[in-house]
Amino acid sequence: MSMETILVQTVVNGLMVGMIYVLMAIGFTMVFGIMRIVNFAHGEFYMIGAFLFAILYGSNELPFVVSLVLSVAATALLGLLMERIVFRRFRGNELNGMIASVGVALILQNSALLLWGSSSRTVPSVVSGVLSVGGIVFPWSRLVVIIGAIIAVVSLNFLITHTRIGRAMRAVAQDAEIAQVQGIRVDIIFPVAFVLGVSLAAFAGVLMAPVLSVSPFIGLAPTLKAFVIVVIGGLGSVPGAVAGGLLIGLIESFAGTFVSASLSEILQFLVVIGVVLLRPQGLLGRKEREA
Amino acid sequence: MTFRTTEFRPMQYAGIAGAVALAALLPWLAPNLFYIHLATLGCINLMLVLGLAIIARAGQLSMGHGGFALVGGYVSALLSMRGWSPLLSLFIAGFVAAAIAAALGWIILRLRGVYFVLVAFAFSQIAVLLALDMSSLTGGANGLVGVPPISIFGHALLAKPQFYPFALACALVTLGLTWVLYRSPLGTMMAATAENQRLTESSGIDTHRVQVIAFTIGSGIAGFAGALSTHYLRFISPDSYTFWESVSYLTMLVVGGRDGVLGPVVGVLVLTPLPELLRATEGLQHIIYGAMLVLCLMFVPNGLASLVQTWRSRQRVVRPSAAVVAEEAP
Repeated sequence: MSMETILVQTVVNGLMVGMIYVLMAIGFTMVFGIMRIVNFAHGEFYMIGAFLFAILYGSNELPFVVSLVLSVAATALLGLLMERIVFRRFRGNELNGMIASVGVALILQNSALLLWGSSSRTVPSVVSGVLSVGGIVFPWSRLVVIIGAIIAVVSLNFLITHTRIGRAMRAVAQDAEIAQVQGIRVDIIFPVAFVLGVSLAAFAGVLMAPVLSVSPFIGLAPTLKAFVIVVIGGLGSVPGAVAGGLLIGLIESFAGTFVSASLSEILQFLVVIGVVLLRPQGLLGRKEREA
Repeated sequence: MTFRTTEFRPMQYAGIAGAVALAALLPWLAPNLFYIHLATLGCINLMLVLGLAIIARAGQLSMGHGGFALVGGYVSALLSMRGWSPLLSLFIAGFVAAAIAAALGWIILRLRGVYFVLVAFAFSQIAVLLALDMSSLTGGANGLVGVPPISIFGHALLAKPQFYPFALACALVTLGLTWVLYRSPLGTMMAATAENQRLTESSGIDTHRVQVIAFTIGSGIAGFAGALSTHYLRFISPDSYTFWESVSYLTMLVVGGRDGVLGPVVGVLVLTPLPELLRATEGLQHIIYGAMLVLCLMFVPNGLASLVQTWRSRQRVVRPSAAVVAEEAP
């Protein structure tokens, strides 16, 4: 392989992984921004989305779009249930909400383990073949992930910036009490935000299922990445999550290809420490308001 | 959270003395070695949970607690395998973990809120990764086998009944020191910081420093306990202290109670035997842990130990002399 091909593929890989992280981080940061809950169970919804897709698309051979919609919808429903039963009670109580989310993560991960076993499954590719531009080859399987993620991010951005519910969500994120005074039904905004976040995680899981293998343990790594990204990008900032996600994806891909995977993890941790030292509000975040 | 000046009564002294005596006599009372093994694990868990409790006392939550135990375990294992006395390397392990916590805490505790949790969690993952990656030093995924046992005056603590008293002594000393810490001016500052950081700061207390100190002490204890466990099991690997170990210490703390020293003891007593009872069903045990965590937060947010306190304050209402104390209670 020529250097050029390696470089291009490293970039494509970096963008793919980065976009998945972006999806994870946006959902995570949204739930935090609006509900003030650090959701340690976020990655478990990614895992469940991926698992459902593996079962529907991989094992039952349902059409791609049907499997995708069903997996995301079922995970979203589970998210709604969790919001109703657990998270609703811990709104605004950062510490206990976070601990409760750890409990939810334990329950979800080990339920998946009991239901589906610990062995990992592979999911057949959604598309095959390559896109060849000027002698440089892009595998479609990875491009699909990137394109799918971009569509999700763009539509979410549209939802947040151009719709009534999006405006309501931004208002609640700024100040839930004042938003309520303005007639926004906070009780609806909270579950909507949570389910949206969970759906993004499930969608990321569906996209990644054919590229990686699926097991009950795959949720923790993207959760960690979401944490790292939101600290880098600024907690509660969506543009920050996009920038941070792409940065982390590219670091991971380049360090992984040219040096070693663990070096890239350590590098990411150092970036986090650097950001905390030099720009504590995150690269694109605003200063945390002193409430 | 309320602060109560618990006055000590003869009954309480007797209760504590009885519990300690029972714990000390366990090697003679236990029907087999397995119970002693469980009790030893309980002692180690108690130290880890107390470390976590000290950090929580200052208003922070460390999701990277296992990472410091892992660091401690490796430091002590590597030093003792190179001929250092394990009794010395235990303390070095604690100091190394504390030093890392001090540096990390100084940087990240400048930020309020959840950043600390996120970075501490990331740290523990890095610790696991480094242990896996530096295989020439740490043995990689296989870990280190044949860690020397602790020996006191040339007498090696190899068998379980011999190791247990040492672990118990360590746990009791930690418990005692934590109790003293909570009652010291520093302990008051920690509790005040947790209660209202800005108000505490405005009364001239450097809350950043208080939190860094709490994080350093708590993580140092974790390092020591991790080392202790490594010399007990005579083995350590990157899997010894993963995120889920940190979660189980957190569960013990929350289920037991976060307010005093009694909470960690209750949490450890309730939750240490649980995995052993449910060993047959690997996944179920974690589901029960998770459910207990969530249910406790919903219905007994101050932990099981708070039930005892509520009961005790109710008892006091009956006695007229204690009515004032009861009135202060929530």
